[in-house]
Amino acid sequence: MTRPEMAGPGKTAITLAVNGTSRQLELEPRTTLAEALRNTLGLTGTKIACNRGACSACTVWLNGQPVLSCMTLAIDAAGQEITTIEGLAHGEALHPVQDAFIEHDAMQCGFCTPGMVMSCAALLERNPHPDAEAVRDAIAGHYCRCGTYPHVVAATLAAAERKP
Amino acid sequence: MTATRTEIFSAGIVEAGLGTVTREIPAGEPPPWPPNAELTWIGKDVPRLNGRDKVTGATRYTVDVRLPGMLHARFLRCPLPSAELRKLDTAAATALDGARAVIALARPGDRLRYAGQPVAAVAALSPGVAAEALAAIDAEFRPLPFVVDMDEARAPDAPLVYDEASAPKGNPSGFPAAPGLPVVGNVRGPAVVRRGDPAQGFAAADIVVEGEYRTQVQTHSCLEPHAIVADWRADGLTVYMSTQFTSGVRQELAALFGLPLNRVRVVVDGMGGGFGSKSQLGVYGRTAVELSRLAGLPVRLALDRHEEQIDAGNRPGTFQRMRLGAKRDGTLTALAIESHGTAGVALGAGIGFFAERIYTCPNFETLQHDVFVNAGPGCAMRGPGNTPGAYGLEQAIDTLSERLGLDPLALRDRIDPSKARREERRIGAERIGWSRRHKPGADPGAVKRGMGVAQSLWMSNVQTNVACEVRVLRDGSVEALSSVQDIGTGIGTVMAQVVAEVLGLRPGDITVRIGDTEFPPGGPSYGSRTTASITPPLRTAATRVLAELGREAARMLNAAPEELEAREGRIRVKSDPGRSLAFRDAAALLRTDRISAVESRADDYPGFRRRMPDAAMAHEDLGGVQFAEVAVDTETGAIRVERVVAVHDCGRPINRLLLESQVQGGVLMGVSYALLERRVMDRRTGLMVNADLEHYKLAGVHDTPEIEVVILENLQGNSATDAYGIAEPANIATAPAIANAVYNAIGVRLTSLPMTPDVVLAALGKTGRS
Amino acid sequence: MNRFAYASPATVTEAAAATGLVAEAMVTFDESAVLKAGGIDLLDLLKLELLTPSVVVNLRAIKGLDAITQDAAGNVAIGAMATLSQVAEHPLVRGSYPALATAIAGAAGPQLRNVATLGGNLLQRPHCWYLRSPAHHCLRKGGGHCFAIHGENQYHAIFDNHACAIVHPSTAATALVALNAEVELHDAEGATRRLPLEDFFVGPDDDIQRENALRPREVLTAIHLRKPASGTRMAHLRQGEKAGFDWPLADVAVVLAIGPDGVCREASVVLGAAAPVPHRARAAEQALQGRHPGEAAAGDAARAALRGATPLSLNAYKLALFETLVRRAILAALA
Ligand SMILES: Cc1cc2nc3c(=O)[nH]c(=O)nc-3n(C[C@H](O)[C@H](O)[C@H](O)COP(=O)(O)OP(=O)(O)OC[C@H]3O[C@@H](n4cnc5c(N)ncnc54)[C@H](O)[C@@H]3O)c2cc1C
Ligand code: SF4
Repeated sequence: MTRPEMAGPGKTAITLAVNGTSRQLELEPRTTLAEALRNTLGLTGTKIACNRGACSACTVWLNGQPVLSCMTLAIDAAGQEITTIEGLAHGEALHPVQDAFIEHDAMQCGFCTPGMVMSCAALLERNPHPDAEAVRDAIAGHYCRCGTYPHVVAATLAAAERKP
Repeated sequence: MTATRTEIFSAGIVEAGLGTVTREIPAGEPPPWPPNAELTWIGKDVPRLNGRDKVTGATRYTVDVRLPGMLHARFLRCPLPSAELRKLDTAAATALDGARAVIALARPGDRLRYAGQPVAAVAALSPGVAAEALAAIDAEFRPLPFVVDMDEARAPDAPLVYDEASAPKGNPSGFPAAPGLPVVGNVRGPAVVRRGDPAQGFAAADIVVEGEYRTQVQTHSCLEPHAIVADWRADGLTVYMSTQFTSGVRQELAALFGLPLNRVRVVVDGMGGGFGSKSQLGVYGRTAVELSRLAGLPVRLALDRHEEQIDAGNRPGTFQRMRLGAKRDGTLTALAIESHGTAGVALGAGIGFFAERIYTCPNFETLQHDVFVNAGPGCAMRGPGNTPGAYGLEQAIDTLSERLGLDPLALRDRIDPSKARREERRIGAERIGWSRRHKPGADPGAVKRGMGVAQSLWMSNVQTNVACEVRVLRDGSVEALSSVQDIGTGIGTVMAQVVAEVLGLRPGDITVRIGDTEFPPGGPSYGSRTTASITPPLRTAATRVLAELGREAARMLNAAPEELEAREGRIRVKSDPGRSLAFRDAAALLRTDRISAVESRADDYPGFRRRMPDAAMAHEDLGGVQFAEVAVDTETGAIRVERVVAVHDCGRPINRLLLESQVQGGVLMGVSYALLERRVMDRRTGLMVNADLEHYKLAGVHDTPEIEVVILENLQGNSATDAYGIAEPANIATAPAIANAVYNAIGVRLTSLPMTPDVVLAALGKTGRS
Repeated sequence: MNRFAYASPATVTEAAAATGLVAEAMVTFDESAVLKAGGIDLLDLLKLELLTPSVVVNLRAIKGLDAITQDAAGNVAIGAMATLSQVAEHPLVRGSYPALATAIAGAAGPQLRNVATLGGNLLQRPHCWYLRSPAHHCLRKGGGHCFAIHGENQYHAIFDNHACAIVHPSTAATALVALNAEVELHDAEGATRRLPLEDFFVGPDDDIQRENALRPREVLTAIHLRKPASGTRMAHLRQGEKAGFDWPLADVAVVLAIGPDGVCREASVVLGAAAPVPHRARAAEQALQGRHPGEAAAGDAARAALRGATPLSLNAYKLALFETLVRRAILAALA
């Protein structure tokens, strides 16, 4: 996937690989990845709460790494594997972090939950057996106004136990 | 007179030993439930049923709603803290290609009173065009003198936010502020509550403690902003709205737009936090509907973060001057508080009824004032009034206990009449290890630890205007319906537990349909009243459909309907459980595809303490006691809350897992309030400089203490479920518990919030300023 | 955000040729092209419409700019496009420059560090809330006065704050200046220059509208670190209001070269969030040099570090805070 030499300022063809599917989009270069996912692709599981990089609600994976989709231009994500909350489960089978979140009630209003799940799942992908401090570090950038942090940490540790 | 019958209920705090109470109850009400230990689903850790949708991103929040042809709306807001609108010309905006509706919300000559006050609104084909249309509005503002600081606003020569005629008039219910109070300058009040004779009480005191306490303005900072999608059509209005009260918003809309109630529908599925700020339709709601009406298309209006922080409500700041008189044994003889608070351009910045109700004190007086400043309107926020009120009083009580040489728990045992809190103090003290608590400032070294306690009090609210429906379909499937909304507490799961308990099914077997005014009107999700309001009628409704089903089953099982019970997915004969029918097979006997029962909230069996048109207050208040353990680094001023033990009561707990979540949330909001949050208004420009989530600081995971939650089972025989709420009590005691722990750690009392390092260092005399 | 075109040149020279200076563009509001590394700071300025460029020039497509390498002499070069995560986790950095690893690991949050680059971190604009507020047209943006000096200045500078009281936003810079790092810059003609990072930063007295000496049509390509002398000890400490994911109220980097005799040969003491540029506390360094460092020397150095500070109405607390952090950082380095 090569990036165009000069694109925009109007709409330009951008190919995004989202949850394993290649999607051809027409977007202005100023479009953020969060906007492209939510508004153009209808993947509204990714949430925008502060839109300035301070709350992490918009966390998605780029090539497996958690990043903030509100602080990423969609055009910068071209050529990378994008994974959103909609793409985390394998069909009916949830990611172990998702199962554990439900069991431990690691959610209240749920608005920060997709981002939290993405960060905790990414942690387990690279560190299958984290301790509580590692989980806390992984979600250090997340805000949860309902105060689910204790349950999020417990759930992620439980998911790690369960992961082979 | 409705027919009644007499029932004997288990009553008391299960942990402390149960007794009974005899109640005369309406004949149609189900029989008393035993304590939770004898029930299948009630009081158990049932994971929330919509959890899967939340962890997969499938839950649809208002900001996610997309309708065909939907327009995007934005506000033009006043850029100045105080201004006269000189000119407002929307012609160019209206003419803009892609703009579909433009409305003025103020007229030339109008006085604008805070930065961020809406002046006009546009709806356009895209957010980009909406922004262009805003830019095309020709508006001129003449700056006027302003004041954003409460102390400055109280000065005699301060610029006036309102003249007497224009000042808000108050609310007949007295909440948040009573009508008819005098306005002098920017100060409105006092609202007076008095009993006994405070002067005599102080004269009779052996000891008088005085103190001044200050709390900051806190913003709700809901992660989902205030948002609405309004769809006005010829045959009626549908709005999707992030609201705490679907049926309340429907009433507001119907009245405002002259529509019959049956032509207004309000829907909310996922709801990304409210904390009091999404209780009403609001200017943004009204505006979106008006724009949709004008444009004939659906309109989406979602605040951005900056708007959310400046104009979506806030918890008012307060200044409290307190006097407390006591006998040597701790008996209170007098309590007098004068408070000034500011809700910006709005009313309701009082200190609540915490001091009025929590301790036995014959001579009592509060004088509460609202101070107007040029800032966004405050509104209710998690334990309004009582949260700042507890911050002041619980520290004064701590000071008194020290002056008396009494343990703070022993003092409270003497002056606090609540049985629940007595038990909570006992349990909490044990869990935190209260006996380890040392004298103030006794730790050697730079990092000093301390322990503190504070109490909570909130009213047991009930919405009396509440209804719900339970349906059984012929294939055995079950639905529970109400317009009540889930703002994160998991009320849908609680509803499923109640229905499952009655019908002998599993919670997962119940399809819960809520958050839509097409269903029977549920109550609001505020005032910690949702569970208390919806679960009793729900149990009654479920009992009624079961009775109908039982009549069919009884014929089949050759038994009398009274001999049957519903357990483990079957309808069976109590004395001979082998004679049974699967629930599904019993449903198949129904003559119609569906049976249903609609029920509304009956009064609490012993009646109410107080009654409002649509709501009431139960006799016993909600309690709660919290213990905090902190470490204060006296060289950096950093406070770390290491541990909180939160012991609470909410009548009969229905789902301990969800309750634990809510209590943790209340504690965390309290930690955040105590240590971090603060709206910073620049005094020279009158603008909020931290209207974001970067410099408006919320507690994150690293600020989170270890939180231990204990929830009593406090049975009262008050309703079919005996359940009450918890969200607000869980927040009220936290900040004062931390403040008392900080005092115990360093031996210096901090009297203002938030307790940031600069405040701590200043209190320790380490900054060269006091 | 305004509409802009997006270019992704393949070489540094091309990138340099295309662009103007962000600092200038924020004052003049001309529509010159701007560089984007991780884009974290740039997007913030774009969203606030404090910048309205015609072109955003992406540096990501340039190969090799994110390498972290060591030469034969043991010196380390960090490509400007290396992400903060890469730098903080890199064995060369953790092994030889632990204070840098600590400083970076504590900056911003994990998702931001996965994207933000070291170059971008050094070149980000200040986070003064007046600067980031479109409603406040302050000196640094070409306006008439500084709102902070008599306003809400609790997070502002305690040194060199009479004209503009920003604190330099880069936490990495605190450690890098203490490590005597150098920056390498490439211009559009392909010429390069190298200068000490300390000299690269510019205070308000030199130019109130910019924080560094980056020239138009210049790209930061690398940060160079000398191999630490044997006996080098270092530490970085920070204190925020929050226990994590927060801007520091104060941060301190200390690098000490201790001789075999236990005497301190060389000392670097740098304060972050103290001044418009990372603030080298020379008096503190002198208080350490030639001494056996320990509690007493650390205390003396800490007091010396704050000499000459001119706190504003709301930030005098930073004196006590820095004094503690300097003392503790020295002791932590020695530990
Ligand atoms: C909530 C929050 C908290 C934060 N906390 C901290 C903190 O505690 N400590 C801290 O240090 N930072 C903090 N940051 C800031 C963050 O670290 C910076 O925004 C980030 O490092 C910038 O790097 P970038 O690669 O994304 O830069 P970009 O945004 O891409 O670039 C920044 C600027 O540098 C210019 N530029 C970038 N690279 C080059 C180059 N190679 N040559 C020439 N010019 C270039 C760009 O034109 C732009 O003006 C925080 C940010 C947020 C949002
Ligand atoms: S400190 Fe500097 S950036 Fe901030 S208001 Fe003053 S001049 Fe502007």
